[in-house]
Amino acid sequence: MDKYTDVNQLLARIQGVARRLVAAQPRELVIGNIVRRVLGLIRDEALENRNEAGSDESISSPVRDASPPPMSASVSSLNEATPLAKMGRPGLMNALTRTQSMFNLLADPDTIPPIWSTGASPAPGSGVSTPMADPQSTDVKALRSEVIDGIEEIMDEIRQVDEQVQAYSDIIIHPGDYILVHQPCKTVQRFLTRSKRKCTVFLVVDPSAHPAEDPYASFRKSMAATGSVVVNIMNTGLMAYMSRVNKVILSARAIMGTGSVLVDGGASVIARAARELGRTVIVIGGVYKLSPDNQIDQETATEWGNPSKYVNYSDGRMVGQVTVKTAVSEFVPSELVNTYITNLGAHSRDHLHAIVNDHYKEADIEFDLYGTIRK
Amino acid sequence: MSTEQNGAPAEAAPKPTEAPKEALAETPKQTATNQNEKPSKDAKSGAESKADKAEPKSSDAAGDKKLTGAELKAKAKADKAARRAQQKTSKEVAKGEAAVSSSPGQLGPSAGEVKAKGGKGKDGALAAAAAGRPVLLKAPPSAVVTEQKIQIPECFSHLSMARRIPMTQADKDVHPSVLMLGQQMATFTIDESITRLKATMLAFRKVIESYITPPGNVLARHFTPHVLNIQIEYLTACRPMCFSMGNAIRWLKLQVSKIDMDASEEQAKKELCQTIDIFIAERITVADEYITEQGAKHIKDGDIVLAYGRNTLVEKAILYAHSTGTKFSVLIVDDPYEQLGQQLAKTLTDEGIKVTYSGDFGGLRNHMRHATKVFFAAEAMFSNGAMYARAGACDVAMTAYELGKKVITLCETINITERVATDSLTYNEIDPERSSAAAFRLMFDATPDKYISLLVTELGSVQARSAPDLLRKLEEFN
Repeated sequence: MDKYTDVNQLLARIQGVARRLVAAQPRELVIGNIVRRVLGLIRDEALENRNEAGSDESISSPVRDASPPPMSASVSSLNEATPLAKMGRPGLMNALTRTQSMFNLLADPDTIPPIWSTGASPAPGSGVSTPMADPQSTDVKALRSEVIDGIEEIMDEIRQVDEQVQAYSDIIIHPGDYILVHQPCKTVQRFLTRSKRKCTVFLVVDPSAHPAEDPYASFRKSMAATGSVVVNIMNTGLMAYMSRVNKVILSARAIMGTGSVLVDGGASVIARAARELGRTVIVIGGVYKLSPDNQIDQETATEWGNPSKYVNYSDGRMVGQVTVKTAVSEFVPSELVNTYITNLGAHSRDHLHAIVNDHYKEADIEFDLYGTIRK
Repeated sequence: MSTEQNGAPAEAAPKPTEAPKEALAETPKQTATNQNEKPSKDAKSGAESKADKAEPKSSDAAGDKKLTGAELKAKAKADKAARRAQQKTSKEVAKGEAAVSSSPGQLGPSAGEVKAKGGKGKDGALAAAAAGRPVLLKAPPSAVVTEQKIQIPECFSHLSMARRIPMTQADKDVHPSVLMLGQQMATFTIDESITRLKATMLAFRKVIESYITPPGNVLARHFTPHVLNIQIEYLTACRPMCFSMGNAIRWLKLQVSKIDMDASEEQAKKELCQTIDIFIAERITVADEYITEQGAKHIKDGDIVLAYGRNTLVEKAILYAHSTGTKFSVLIVDDPYEQLGQQLAKTLTDEGIKVTYSGDFGGLRNHMRHATKVFFAAEAMFSNGAMYARAGACDVAMTAYELGKKVITLCETINITERVATDSLTYNEIDPERSSAAAFRLMFDATPDKYISLLVTELGSVQARSAPDLLRKLEEFN
């Protein structure tokens, strides 16, 4: 039932799935990133195929004439973000040959989700794409394998991130450094392990973790092999250590094009403390974490989670009367970060925009993933 | 040094033979431990040489002067050596409470040691350690000793740490009430600077009450070096003194030295106890009340007060403000390792105050944005205006400063020290419970004066930078 007959259906379906995923975990920007990468990939492949089939057809397609009716029909149900997207569209429409998918994308994001769940039910987009169905149907199979190849490439890229990031460790880590890391992810751990230089790592652990278990035991071991010392720091305020620390390395949950970073709860105050004393703050994360999303800011970025992390649910006096808030992830504004290291190298803040543009198509950047949540 | 070391074993030789006999009578176990411990001599001698190094320093520190951190540490090391000497005797005397009432034979070396210490002042510590050393060679290493050897990262090795010393290892002249207090401090049952100070003063008061001047001595000359210093050493060994204790002890020694030589012992003791009572009343009780009131005045209707962790003074101020009818809510940001803020949350909600609680620093900025005022209570104030408080206070204060929130620090003047700390690693304490070979925790940090809007003391509310002015004011009073 889930067969698709043309590119537009495929795109719409992926967008529908994407919205579901994003709705399930709206703060995990990486989901949106990967979805956009895949969408962009499909567009590229489709474009290639179409060009092979003959560019005349696609350019003179009846799409432009057919488009207005579904547009106007859906205008009433457009959410507040789509008018903005609409503004940017006319220029694109003329400039790009992929007008059709563009239109489909922006027509009415909120009515699209049913498509993927009900299979081939006609959506506003379907009327648009029918005229194109015949010339494209032959390409669908080729497209599918190409897209799958493309997705595998993305997966490979993600798999190789750690290794590629490691290459920069000797540039960053100097002998005798005191490096502070906050709940380091595997990428950061490998980054530090790679360097053969002796340094001291202050590792800020998750305070809620049981003191007996050390999730970083293997990391400690491999660091010890090079003579480096890893000390678990059982403090949440790190200002006290900053006079000793040379560099702070944070693992990013997501990096915004503006340079702001989403991090685990508790890391923001560390970045601030480091900045206050002029220590270097380095953010590490694969390029796939670099998000074109600009909707998140200081206020909305903090994700509140499981309140029973520190407060026992059996503690009636706390549960009954006190509002308990525990942040899972939070926001580090760009001015607190010195350098970003991805698998593509070390970047300055201003360079991030260029990388975003390299990796995502404008159409996909504007794609409103949050449509369903906001309602 | 080396000659002493060589000579020492001979001196000590008779003891082991004599001791087991008595010990056997009591507990057969003890002989077993003695035997077992012999192989560990080597390990011991390492620690011993450490103590040797510390000696020259400690002898300087033994004077009446206020001790610096380094000196304190050196002293603590010397103490350790001395305590080990005690260890054996007191162990055989057996069981905590018996430590005071031990048989004369066993007391021999330690009594001599005490005399040497007090009588010669500076040389005393050295002599004591020398006297202690022979015994030390045979001294059984207890579990505590190994516990004390927690590996501390080299860059923090200059900081001190509380150690749980079994009562049996304490100097036999340590007064029972001080003995108890030491344990409470080592286990952090008594934790806040001001509570520690009060408990110490009350314990010293008991020491004075039960003091009997030996014939041929005068209280004013004998008490401080022979009795008081032993108590102080023990307390310091249990947990490094807080600044208020340092200040108060200096004051107490001055009071003892001021006592009229011709006054009768009864008279002198009575006078001393009275001065201590007045001190507690003025510098602690009344000071707290005044600061509570003044602090509460800063809480206005509609305020959202942010408190970090729990501190008695802050709690009092909040409760006081509530009792005067001010309508406000409280936001508690806690240290996840201590979670004392939960206590505060309960106390406040019981009184009907609306409380929001955050267990760690996640989203601190979001909380701070909502807050209107931040309250701290200082463990100590340095004379450069830096606030010495619970680790993490600096981060909270910094965030408040950045968002332009008022930071109010409550502090009794007894906590103001003339020392200066430009960073948190100058003076600090290591948390013994959470520090191990792989983990580390600092207990305090120093908040620069620029983050603090107001310092509320019993002598008035000033800028944090003016802390030394308050000290001067105090000197004028005295």
